[in-house]
Amino acid sequence: MALLQISEPGQTPEPHQSKRAVGIDLGTTNSLVASVRSGSAEALPAEDGSVILPSAVRYTESGVQVGLAARAAAGDDPFNTLISIKRLMGRGLADVKSFGDQLPYHFGEDTGGMPSIETVAGAVNPVQVSAEILKVLAKRGADSLGGELDGAVITVPAYFDDAQRQATKDAAKLAGLKVLRLLNEPTAAAVAYGLDKSDEGGDVADRTVAVYDLGGGTFDISILRLSRGVFEVLSTGGDSALGGDDFDRAVGEWIAAEAGLGSDLDAATQRKLLNTACAAKEALAEADSIAIEYGSWSGALSREKLAELLDPLISKTLRACKRALRDAGLTAEDIAEVVLVGGSTRTLRVREKVEEFFGRKPHADIDPDQVVAIGAALQADVLVGNKSREDLLLLDVIPLSLGLETMGGLTEKLIHRNTTIPVAKAQEFTTFKDGQTAMAIHVVQGERELEKDCRSLARFELRGIPPMVAGAAHIRVTFQVDADGLLSVSAVEKSSGVAAEITVKPSYGLEDSDITRMLQDSYAHAEEDVVARALREAQVEAERSMEAMLVALQEDGAELLSNEELDELERAMEALRLAHNGGTAEEIRSRVEALNTLSEPFAGRRMDKSIKRAMQGHSLDEFDQS
Amino acid sequence: MYAGSEGPGARVHTGLFVIWASGMKLQQNHFEIFGLPVAFEVDRQALAKRYRELQQEFHPDRFAAKSEREQMLSMQYAAQINEANNTLKDPVQRAAYLLQLAGVEINPEQTTADGEFLMQQMILRERLEEVRDASNPESELEVLSVEAGELLKAQEQAFSSALAANALDEAKGALLKLQFLAKLQSQLEALEEDLFD
Repeated sequence: MALLQISEPGQTPEPHQSKRAVGIDLGTTNSLVASVRSGSAEALPAEDGSVILPSAVRYTESGVQVGLAARAAAGDDPFNTLISIKRLMGRGLADVKSFGDQLPYHFGEDTGGMPSIETVAGAVNPVQVSAEILKVLAKRGADSLGGELDGAVITVPAYFDDAQRQATKDAAKLAGLKVLRLLNEPTAAAVAYGLDKSDEGGDVADRTVAVYDLGGGTFDISILRLSRGVFEVLSTGGDSALGGDDFDRAVGEWIAAEAGLGSDLDAATQRKLLNTACAAKEALAEADSIAIEYGSWSGALSREKLAELLDPLISKTLRACKRALRDAGLTAEDIAEVVLVGGSTRTLRVREKVEEFFGRKPHADIDPDQVVAIGAALQADVLVGNKSREDLLLLDVIPLSLGLETMGGLTEKLIHRNTTIPVAKAQEFTTFKDGQTAMAIHVVQGERELEKDCRSLARFELRGIPPMVAGAAHIRVTFQVDADGLLSVSAVEKSSGVAAEITVKPSYGLEDSDITRMLQDSYAHAEEDVVARALREAQVEAERSMEAMLVALQEDGAELLSNEELDELERAMEALRLAHNGGTAEEIRSRVEALNTLSEPFAGRRMDKSIKRAMQGHSLDEFDQS
Repeated sequence: MYAGSEGPGARVHTGLFVIWASGMKLQQNHFEIFGLPVAFEVDRQALAKRYRELQQEFHPDRFAAKSEREQMLSMQYAAQINEANNTLKDPVQRAAYLLQLAGVEINPEQTTADGEFLMQQMILRERLEEVRDASNPESELEVLSVEAGELLKAQEQAFSSALAANALDEAKGALLKLQFLAKLQSQLEALEEDLFD
């Protein structure tokens, strides 16, 4: 790999302090934060020593409670205690209604495509609730690591669609976190096990790994290929609405039926029933049969009975495993390792069925609740720049196909699921009426043929098309999915010789102004100073930009810039430094923007240079053999 | 359809969608990117190895701590490397790309005019439809899959030698048949999923 080294000997920037980066597992049931300290990754504990933060948020008239205290109140105060909020991330009110009476909350109007939930502290949306959880974890990280965090890797189920990923990123933004990457949970788990490293220190051939991740509210299966530091996701599948909560519900319904309770139970009873069911399920990991008491009823639940209740749900997960294997072009025999993730894999019956399906004993040495956060911490350490660049590379895929609505409510797939990201696809459109200056494009995500069966992602309006006769305009629309799995769209009309840029208006999701408003709302609660916070954020951004520029200049400034350009950049840096030390947030931001714009050609030349360098290991002859 | 215009050059930056600068591209063709000869036969191992080396260099993860501009460029380069890899990995896409490089236009609506081939395809599809009602669908599907696989192999060879001989019309004919057979294969896979899951 020597030929891929980018820094010249002697030109390496001076070694800097290691940065503070964390990995966060923002789970449906529990959340954790982990970090790499003195070379090894570990979950960071709260003051009381516990590492798991229940993903429960309770709104009271006097403030917000997060974690254990909130969860404990769920039975008594179900409307104000929000649990499993992850299920609602990136979902619209219509989706939420389809969950039926599983959620006891009072839903209000949509805001920015999201349902809002009425609480005693006013209406809140899922992004805000998740941000409360993230804030607690971020603070824990900063306290443990001794200062403000430089960045975080946040994990999401591999199955999350664009809207769900975007909502997660918005929540992080709201919590004041810099997101280095959204990472698929199963990928993080494979990283935690370091399965690419050989057993005896020698080179290992490629091997395929299945990560079976059954959490509280989501199931994911990922098929990965690992070889020498490269983790390649071959396929993913799963169900974003299936998990241990459903196990509890199945057991709870059985208890309710046995105890002769009616089907019309109030929220508090439902919650108590689920707590009893969950305890019974966990106890059966140790015992063959356990006694249950609920109200005046008492009975027993055996492992056999539990298996009978759970098997239909477990079978659903195994069918998804089969599909993911087929997408990867593999069968169960090809899988060299199986990794178990998620608290629900502690259930004995799950382990039995998974072992039976894959024909081998799964890895379960690392605590299945912590393994994702630990993997995320390892990746955060690499991304923030603490670790050598050759150690780890994750090549991830888009979990669901992206398509466009065509005539008659059909969809045309543009980017197929399990395509490696980042990816860009361009499509040409034309006008069908004379003088037409706008058109609408409907982007959907999903595997089904009919538009109505897929998830509507966005309806774009292309505006600003130069008026021409019908069919004369050639509008090239490019759909780009970045390394976080997030979509962006650009459009250019190119028939007129000069490419005109066209404004694209999405119809779904949060606008920056929504985020700002929510930020202000949250400051009002926490009585923080909005201005001071904004200034600090701008300063951090300025520090990041200056440091990145300094490194770039040290590496390539002399070679790639004229003296004049160098002077200009240095002046812009100096202006930013001054603004950083005494300016307002707005002044700093505009200086950062100025520096970025000015350095754009330099950034381009640096990339070209690395391309050339990467090509050098291959002689020109190789290109001329056609 | 909507009326109204906001004028060229306008940019939007919203929470969800960021318009990104376009026009940054690697200059090499897909084969050059991977240092492979421009030919239908591809050294799969060399391709996979080179692909990973390039992604080690240009993947956005390598730029997560760098400036926004560099992050954007790396995303575009990495996307292009992925696109090149996907094209070269898949025989049908690779064949179409080779013809495109040779300046041959392929109309997506166009189909083969070879009557004998079309007849064979019709029979294969009829058999496909009958699999469901066969006494042993699994073995019938297996037989069909093997046959389709062999036809695909033969057509790939036909394409390869036509291209090597610079017989572009002939190569195009082979590509059109390849597309047919690839579609048949995906139908076979879909049916298998349908029947046995």
